[in-house]
Amino acid sequence: MKAFTDEQERVLIDWTKKYPYPNLGLIEALRAVQGWHRMVTPEAAARVAEIFSLPFNHVWGVATFFPTFTRWKTGEKRVGVCHGLSCWMKGSDKAEKRLEKTLGVPKKQATPDGKLSWETMECLGACEQAPALLVNDRLVGPATEDAISKLKP
Amino acid sequence: MTKILTKHFDEPKLHELETYRRLGGYEGLKKALSMERPAVLEEVKKSNLRGLGGAGFPTAFKWSTVPPEDKVPGPRYVVVNADESEPGCYKDRVLLTRAPHQLLEGLLIASYVIGAKDSFIFIRGEYQIQYEILEKAVAEAKGAGLLGDVNLHLMRGAGAYISGLDTALLETMEGKKAWPRQPPPFPTVAGLMGKPTVVNNVETLSMLPFIAREGGEAFAKIGSAKNGGTVLFSVSGHVEKEGVYEVPMGTKLRDVLALAGGVKGGKKLKCVIPGGTSMPPLLEKDLDVCLDFDAIRAAGTFLGAGGMIVLDETADAVEVAHNIERFLAHESCGQCTPCREGANWSERILERILEGKGQAGDAENLARVGENITGKVICALGDTVGMVTRAYISKFPDDFRKRAANHG
Ligand SMILES: Cc1cc2nc3c(=O)[nH]c(=O)nc-3n(C[C@H](O)[C@H](O)[C@H](O)COP(=O)(O)O)c2cc1C
Ligand code: SF4
Ligand code: FES
Repeated sequence: MKAFTDEQERVLIDWTKKYPYPNLGLIEALRAVQGWHRMVTPEAAARVAEIFSLPFNHVWGVATFFPTFTRWKTGEKRVGVCHGLSCWMKGSDKAEKRLEKTLGVPKKQATPDGKLSWETMECLGACEQAPALLVNDRLVGPATEDAISKLKP
Repeated sequence: MTKILTKHFDEPKLHELETYRRLGGYEGLKKALSMERPAVLEEVKKSNLRGLGGAGFPTAFKWSTVPPEDKVPGPRYVVVNADESEPGCYKDRVLLTRAPHQLLEGLLIASYVIGAKDSFIFIRGEYQIQYEILEKAVAEAKGAGLLGDVNLHLMRGAGAYISGLDTALLETMEGKKAWPRQPPPFPTVAGLMGKPTVVNNVETLSMLPFIAREGGEAFAKIGSAKNGGTVLFSVSGHVEKEGVYEVPMGTKLRDVLALAGGVKGGKKLKCVIPGGTSMPPLLEKDLDVCLDFDAIRAAGTFLGAGGMIVLDETADAVEVAHNIERFLAHESCGQCTPCREGANWSERILERILEGKGQAGDAENLARVGENITGKVICALGDTVGMVTRAYISKFPDDFRKRAANHG
């Protein structure tokens, strides 16, 4: 089975042409893959390697290095709560428990309908909104009870 | 108090080109472009601008180490470091959100001086909102013909703190693991794809429009000796008013704390982390320390990237040190054995102390782990591992002793 649709293949090829050197587009290409598949599988990495004319182990090494890329399937809404120092001081532990209870799944595991997953993250650059909450790479303010209950569709 | 970067922050539409230009935006670029490149560099030199990404390296000096085109022909690049991931730091996010054109103007001035025709903004992936603001600003600037012959490229990271270190940033951009390089060569000689590359922080570059417009001396005058202009502190933790405060270089810690409304709820101060969690904390007795890159060194810590975390008397030094070491262990790139193993050990020893299973000699063990890293690894993250444990143990011995006594 093909790893990507024709349209997705076109997007990946575009990333090889966007910058002065093809390899400069690799991280963005893998970000696109993570967005489509909610994870990066070895099969997907192998196809990306072909498109970028790189060895598979190079792309797989990169895909397994960066926290944005996962080997588990995230929810459509990927939620992160910061446990950096400022956020931990303002109750990130409590926010974690509340996320687990509200979403009904432990961290790094999507809900059965695939809609949501949550995980802890390092400093999100929003320490004044502690404990900071991130939804699909967008900072949404403090992880209050209200903010967490609104995550559910 | 004199403000440079946040002067117009009460303008709700400052992020739009029209508003930015109405307030004098892109005048600095215009002026710079009317000058010879060495003359602009001379103004930056006179300004005493220091790198605000953490290291405080003199900006003009960094630029002057780029080999001239007649010696090393071919492309050269300017890269904006917008990776901001040090716990406690969020001033770049605020600058990107409120004043994207200020950064673009600064980047274009730098690109002119360096001779870069391709310039990059590398922004952490978690700043998607800010990425979109930048996309819009670049399109606006391009539409208004402000980019000249410079191609501006945006690029997002993938969640690794170490990508913020300049040489690891370049590796990430090149589509590799974010493994810091062992300099020399430094990036200004061999950077992105081996070409001369200047990497500067968001805040550093945002200072350039003022310097170009008003002159280097005017900028230098605002700051302290060898530390020109202002600096942003992003304050968080136990204070009344968290937020970003811009003050002249050399302002006393006491005064920044006062701007943030002081310790929350009238509690007593335990310590202040001045520049992000990698920097050793300051105590009540240090409140008169002047905050610039040099003066703060006398108090045994660093300005870092202005991520100020205030902790009140309820904070526990063992818990704090554990949180920081957990972060470092998670973010160590794993390239150097002493750092990879040492950060983990430090985290685990502190965890054990937290669980009440501390053992005699833990403090000595933590110190030894630190010694085995310092000076034996490629980058400053490794050095931080030992520096943090050393600082908290020596400044708060009672917090460590208490746990040992409680659980005997
Ligand atoms: C572990 C580590 C992480 C860093 N992260 C950042 C960062 O996120 N942003 C940044 O501008 N500089 C960061 N730096 C500093 C950069 O290596 C580099 O000095 C800086 O971007 C240069 O810009 P400046 O001279 O304008 O400060 C980091 C340094 C270290 C050791
Ligand atoms: S000191 Fe640590 S983070 Fe730095 S290069 Fe070595 S292993 Fe990587
Ligand atoms: S420590 Fe949580 S956002 Fe910075």
